[in-house]
Amino acid sequence: MLEINGMNFPLDRVYYTRDGAHIWLKQEDDLIKIGMDAFLVEYAGYLTFLTVNESRVKVGESIGSFESAKFVSRLYSPADGEIVAVNDEVIKNPRKINEAPYESWIFAVKADSAVLDGESEYLLDDEEKIVKWISEEIKKVEEDE
Amino acid sequence: MKYYNLGEINWKQTQLIYHALAQLEMEGLVLDSPDSRYVSLGLHQDPRDEIDFEYCKDNDIGIFRREIGGGTVLLDSRQVFFNLILKRNRDGVSRVPENFFRKFLRPVTRALKELGMDAEYRPICDLVINEKKISGNGGGEIGYCRVLAGGIMLDFDREMMARALKCSGPLKQMYIEHMKINLTTVREELGYIPPKEKICSLLIEKFSELLGPMTEGTIDAAVFEKMKELDQHYSSDRWMYQRGVKQLGREIKVKEGVYLFYHAFAIPGGETGITFEISEERIEKISFDEPHNFHPILRNEMEKKIIGLNYDSRKIIDIVCTMIEKNNN
Repeated sequence: MLEINGMNFPLDRVYYTRDGAHIWLKQEDDLIKIGMDAFLVEYAGYLTFLTVNESRVKVGESIGSFESAKFVSRLYSPADGEIVAVNDEVIKNPRKINEAPYESWIFAVKADSAVLDGESEYLLDDEEKIVKWISEEIKKVEEDE
Repeated sequence: MKYYNLGEINWKQTQLIYHALAQLEMEGLVLDSPDSRYVSLGLHQDPRDEIDFEYCKDNDIGIFRREIGGGTVLLDSRQVFFNLILKRNRDGVSRVPENFFRKFLRPVTRALKELGMDAEYRPICDLVINEKKISGNGGGEIGYCRVLAGGIMLDFDREMMARALKCSGPLKQMYIEHMKINLTTVREELGYIPPKEKICSLLIEKFSELLGPMTEGTIDAAVFEKMKELDQHYSSDRWMYQRGVKQLGREIKVKEGVYLFYHAFAIPGGETGITFEISEERIEKISFDEPHNFHPILRNEMEKKIIGLNYDSRKIIDIVCTMIEKNNN
């Protein structure tokens, strides 16, 4: 487990970074479970709504939305594929994500092709790269204040 | 950056314009007012849970479900709207909601101050005068832009706001009373309403100070075309009645930290409602629809256990359900 500024980043999964997505992906058999990382949860505040609207997903496209502090943000897919399961527990109570982001998967995708092969520049699993990425993200937020 | 000072326009266009500009990735500041009243719902709200359709129909109140956040609001020509559309990757456009609202509401606070009102920002996204809300706001991502949508209340019909909502009569009355205590308007603060042109000029001036010089823009054919296209989409039943997540109970937000929360609890032989009044995020008062459904000792225990707690609707429901169950055993 990697800890940066009090936020945890388990190293048993991959992080999707495109357009500030802050999504984690974890391979479980032939499915990829997807959720939000600690950085997103920390800075978004308490999640009040979460929706997943699509069943076919394409990498980089919006597949749903979430709301915190009267602000709606979009949820972007890190993979091409088909959504085969949605976690109703977190849809009904998105605060579960605030409480335990890495246990609260949002949806599971059956990817069209291998996603976690380390080729995409937007997927990080290397400790050093994650530290660099999160540190830059924290700096950006501080500059925006 | 361009500003679009549109004056009074068709009610639906006040919503379509900023959605269209954001979809087209055109940054800008839009200032306008609707020519008739309507209710605007947040993206994650379902009109079937929120709106008294019959009342709205009888009173010519339009309904629009927007792409961004926040709750249901009654909007009319006695408000000045400001919509700021900024590209997501623009420097200084924070993804952190509180930072975003704090920064981009600053020009509105300054404009209100210059008009003679001591307005202040209240996190997450209210502007208040002596703790009374004068401007409600919401935000969100539309396409590759981040959008701030807000309004300054010049005058406000609290009764119509409450009546347009779907909730019980007593809850509507309670809502009206809370709005009297917690909302204010330009008329109530100044004793008169300055011309909208003056308010808009000040907003343009203050937003220019933050974002750099602005030039006047006009709505061109491409934007009109996009608005027409979006109108079809947003007017469709598919969009309007897209089933969101069914909410537990009925929550009405009055201002930041002040809510009314109503829930019907199962009791032997039926159900009965309890209303929770929340102030500064804490439960302040409990009202029972039919007090006789609960033994006075149980009511007293509920009040002792719940009043003063931090507001979390799920936790409140769990506590009350457990107490009712325990009492029944």
